[in-house]
Amino acid sequence: MQWTRKDLSLYIKEKEYIDTLIIPLIPFNPASDSNVTKEAFQRELNQLFTHLLEKEYRGRIIVSPEYDYITGSNETEVRRINQWVESFQSQPLSHVFLFTFDPKWKKWEQELKGQLLWIPSMNERDLHSSETKSFVKEQVSQISELITAYW
Amino acid sequence: MSDKQRVSRRQFLNYTLTGVGGFMAAGMLAPMVRFAIDPVLKPSAAGDFQSVASVDEITNEPQRFEWIVEQVDGWYESEVQKTAWVYRTEDDEIVALSPICTHLGCTVDWASQEEYPDQFYCPCHAGRYTKDGVNVPGTPPTAPLPLFDHKVEEGMLYLGQAQDR
Repeated sequence: MQWTRKDLSLYIKEKEYIDTLIIPLIPFNPASDSNVTKEAFQRELNQLFTHLLEKEYRGRIIVSPEYDYITGSNETEVRRINQWVESFQSQPLSHVFLFTFDPKWKKWEQELKGQLLWIPSMNERDLHSSETKSFVKEQVSQISELITAYW
Repeated sequence: MSDKQRVSRRQFLNYTLTGVGGFMAAGMLAPMVRFAIDPVLKPSAAGDFQSVASVDEITNEPQRFEWIVEQVDGWYESEVQKTAWVYRTEDDEIVALSPICTHLGCTVDWASQEEYPDQFYCPCHAGRYTKDGVNVPGTPPTAPLPLFDHKVEEGMLYLGQAQDR
């Protein structure tokens, strides 16, 4: 389910069936000319992945609003992410996944209260080409296998 | 001698005015009539069929087919990917089922669960449907999978709207 009025009103009614949350973690640094396009691409890719996962499992997965932070501030962000996770856990959401392409989270994985789902990004390219599509689909099916393994 | 009928001035004016008046009346009535019958002539949007697959590809085993439709949804105009599970029954009828679980909208898979090799299975809450799309009692879904309207033309399968059952 998406973070929209329509989906959330259904969520409130069907809470018992929805136990999984995905929080997209998205870094950006507007000050750096060399990285903005790369980070924007990763953001698009992240949205694409969560969209596809949500489409396949919308009856059990809810996608939270995206968590944005300035690139490199991972250490200071840990506390705020944990706050997010805790407030989501006041709902019966027992599986919280933090979905990101930012490898720096790996270092702080132990301190995060959600399950870190880091996958390597790819080079900037056209997201609509058929080659990219089949690659993304393949990756999504593997991630969904990982998520369903927790159920 | 000259018993040729003479057209009087009065008759001439009568004929001309009736003629011109007739044209004017027609000019006014035609658009009104067109407006009145317009809803009948409008092609129904629900009847939009899309070619999905060649008929020879369809087997007795349900296969997943995908196609793209243009969709206007409030603010967004987008291309939406649609999917269907299509197979041929014993009596050579083509059946096209929507893959959207009637419980909470996950995507169901054919024979993805080893225990139920001839059923549709929903990975979210273990909902099950038999091959004809009817929900198995005792599992979460409460309605059968919707069926797509379909037609076959020149060896191609066309699918339309999914209809709830």
